[in-house]
Amino acid sequence: MGSIRVENVVKRFGKVEALKGVRLQVQDQEFLVLLGPSGCGKTTLLRIVAGLETPTQGEVYIGERRVTHLPPRLRGIAMVFQNYAIFPHLTVYENVAFGLRMKRRPEAAIRQKVREVAALLRIEELLERYPAQLSGGQRQRVAVARALAVEPEVLLMDEPLSNLDALLRLEMRAELKRLLKETRTTTLYVTHDQVEAMSLADRIAVMRQGEIVQLGTPTEIYHHPADTFVGGFIGNPPMNFLPVVAEGGQVVLDGLRLPSPAERGPLLLGIRAEDLEVFPEPVEGGFAARVLVVEPLGPHLQLTLEREGTTFRALADPGFAAAPGATLYLRPKEGRVRFFHPETGKAL
Amino acid sequence: MRVWPWLLALAFTLWVLLPIYLIALSAFSPREAVYAWPKAFLPGSLSLETLRFFFGVEGVWRATATSLVVAGLTVAFSLLLGAPAGYALARFPFPGRDAFRVLLILTRAFPIVVLALPLAVLFLRVGLYDTPLGVALVHTALTLPFAVLVSASLFLSIPKELEEAAWTLGCTRTQAFVKVVLPLALPGLAATAIFAFITSWNEVFAASVLTLQNKTLTAYLLTLLDESPLPFKFAGGFFLVVPALVFLFLVRRYLFTLWGISHR
Amino acid sequence: MNTRYLPYLLILPSVLFLLLFFGWPVLSAFLLAFREGEGWGLGQFRRMAQDLYFQDALRNTLLLTAVIVPLQVALALGMALLLPRLGGGRDLFLYFWTIPLGISDLAAGIVWLAIFTERGYLNSLLHALGLLDTPTGWLTYEHPTALFLSVVAAEVWRATPLVLLILVAGLQLIPKELIEAAEVFGATPWVRFWRITLPLLKPSLQVALILRTVLAFEVFAVVVALGGRNLPVLAGEAYFWYADYQNPGVAAAYAVLILGISLAATFLYLKALRVREEVYG
Repeated sequence: MGSIRVENVVKRFGKVEALKGVRLQVQDQEFLVLLGPSGCGKTTLLRIVAGLETPTQGEVYIGERRVTHLPPRLRGIAMVFQNYAIFPHLTVYENVAFGLRMKRRPEAAIRQKVREVAALLRIEELLERYPAQLSGGQRQRVAVARALAVEPEVLLMDEPLSNLDALLRLEMRAELKRLLKETRTTTLYVTHDQVEAMSLADRIAVMRQGEIVQLGTPTEIYHHPADTFVGGFIGNPPMNFLPVVAEGGQVVLDGLRLPSPAERGPLLLGIRAEDLEVFPEPVEGGFAARVLVVEPLGPHLQLTLEREGTTFRALADPGFAAAPGATLYLRPKEGRVRFFHPETGKAL
Repeated sequence: MRVWPWLLALAFTLWVLLPIYLIALSAFSPREAVYAWPKAFLPGSLSLETLRFFFGVEGVWRATATSLVVAGLTVAFSLLLGAPAGYALARFPFPGRDAFRVLLILTRAFPIVVLALPLAVLFLRVGLYDTPLGVALVHTALTLPFAVLVSASLFLSIPKELEEAAWTLGCTRTQAFVKVVLPLALPGLAATAIFAFITSWNEVFAASVLTLQNKTLTAYLLTLLDESPLPFKFAGGFFLVVPALVFLFLVRRYLFTLWGISHR
Repeated sequence: MNTRYLPYLLILPSVLFLLLFFGWPVLSAFLLAFREGEGWGLGQFRRMAQDLYFQDALRNTLLLTAVIVPLQVALALGMALLLPRLGGGRDLFLYFWTIPLGISDLAAGIVWLAIFTERGYLNSLLHALGLLDTPTGWLTYEHPTALFLSVVAAEVWRATPLVLLILVAGLQLIPKELIEAAEVFGATPWVRFWRITLPLLKPSLQVALILRTVLAFEVFAVVVALGGRNLPVLAGEAYFWYADYQNPGVAAAYAVLILGISLAATFLYLKALRVREEVYG
């Protein structure tokens, strides 16, 4: 069983509290992504699961075993590092075979297993080479092959794609997805790239300042962010937040009337750029805004607009005629508006 | 490109190499050429006579052997004591690390003269006087701070992730060190070893003060300086220089790690 | 993994070793030097100071240091600044110029003995130029200045490469952009050297000066190889008192004196060339 359970893990570095009591459960065969800005504690959490750091408090379970104080080699894990950490003095073959040799597998079994994962990662041609003779993408494949060769209960990946150039990253991303579906290995994956997280994850845990702020499927997280931080962090462009005031259980923005979760008082209205329909003329259920910037991005036109001192973004068809200074009218799509508390930022 | 930097560079090179050429010339000249007047600057008749005479002198071979033993022990001590400490400096941010660094750097302000004399007195008492082991211990005191600092910078240049990867793949700390860190650090450690070897091979003062019968080559030559004829000195000088040339060739990649960087 | 004690375990052997072979001897040298019969006193120092060779040894050592060290720094600085102008030849020249690094002081003394001795290469050259008729011994008591200069030549030759290496390493740390920026603003090479390169090189210069000065105070084998005891120096006297006169007390007094001036010089350099943190800011 390759599940991971993290219970109330606290990690302090001196006075800095990197993790503030994290709980997390990764199901067997699940691909879970830890997503967050740099310094949020996601890598620390991964390293604690790996056994490379010891938690100040709390427990880690892999399968049903408590592994909190076990060294990495006894945890049944494998890890892919951000800089790949391929052993430069060993051939690709020996790199992939390294973990198997440590397990004292018979030579024939090692040879077979190395061939197998090499085929899986399409690096059969490279087995006799040294890492210095490999490109970045090839090293990446070797690192993944080396980790999969030991058939770990749990695969840990620390920003494995961040050192690749943009094109290669797309390719490897798709490849990883295929691979991990095939091998059905439980995976805990750290990244700061929300697109990567969305594309790969079964579930995403969004982290911020040492805490998990939201845990859910990519769709849930995208459409129902738990707070303004998640909404702003996920999606490109980020979610728009417009300050509004509720009165009599209703929010009114020009022609737009929405039932409000609060009877009265200030609120934040959250809406994604692609969920705003853009009209050149006043429209029923729409509100007005002034165009600041027009950016033709290819598949659509990205508009930066301003209303009552707040800037926000909307997407229009590429052929839409808009000029800076013009006034446009925007109407949210049905059911896509979210409300947040203006101070705490929590979803209402 | 202008010519004068090259001329200047060639002049410097000549300044460095000419004396070495001249000592080699003296060492390979027959005896009468050593006393000739005026001397020829080009090799007239090369001969091994002078060198043969040098090695024929009683005690030279023995002193050479002693020098090798002392240098070998110095290398072993420096690495065995220095590499672990260097590893600690490179990998752990432990309290007291800076104090340890300062201690290492501080040792440079203390002349070997100060170390050698009291240790001679101590060694007389504990039976280490006039032994290769005793000399090697003092030489290790000279090389150890370098060995620690150099190996620290070596280990620092090996990414920690390589070791962590080895741990996750089933290695204990020791196994990871032996299988991953050591092979990668080996060339640098070899350079450190050569450095320790040559420091010991070259050292005169402590070796002279700490020995009586079992002198190292440098110490032995020093005692013979007064009474020995010029050809003997020149052959000896040349014989002392040769390892230096080999040594510099072997460690040229690590020049800055061994001296430049480890001095900050 | 519990690694809290591991680093201490790893440094323990070398700490113990250094305490035993640095801490103890330094302490013990003081005890030895200040021992007088059954009690304590300056007797050893008095004997040292009254010795015939003492004043010469002290003067020669200080004078040698005062001449050698600046010469080495100047030469090394010139060589270090020359290197970048040599394009692809840089590494080769650096290799040649650092060859004396591995040569011992005794060997260096003998090498230069071949040049300065009576029938040596220098005299042969002077003869060829018609400046000298018969072999003349420069390395004798009658020619103290010539002997002094020979020692200077040998020491400068032997130990300049060490300074060179430290300065080259220091120069590599200076961001190129700084010098290029100065060039853009119209600074002449001379101004760039004095206002940018030299101040930024201060930390390296400090290291080189301390190291070379301490080593120059210990100068011994070069002098003995070239002139025996014709040019007395402090470390040489320590050796002779210990080995020839069998008097460790006076020898220790010399050692303590060398340590004293070494520490004083180090302190002076640290004060005079104070390296401010913002230099690298």
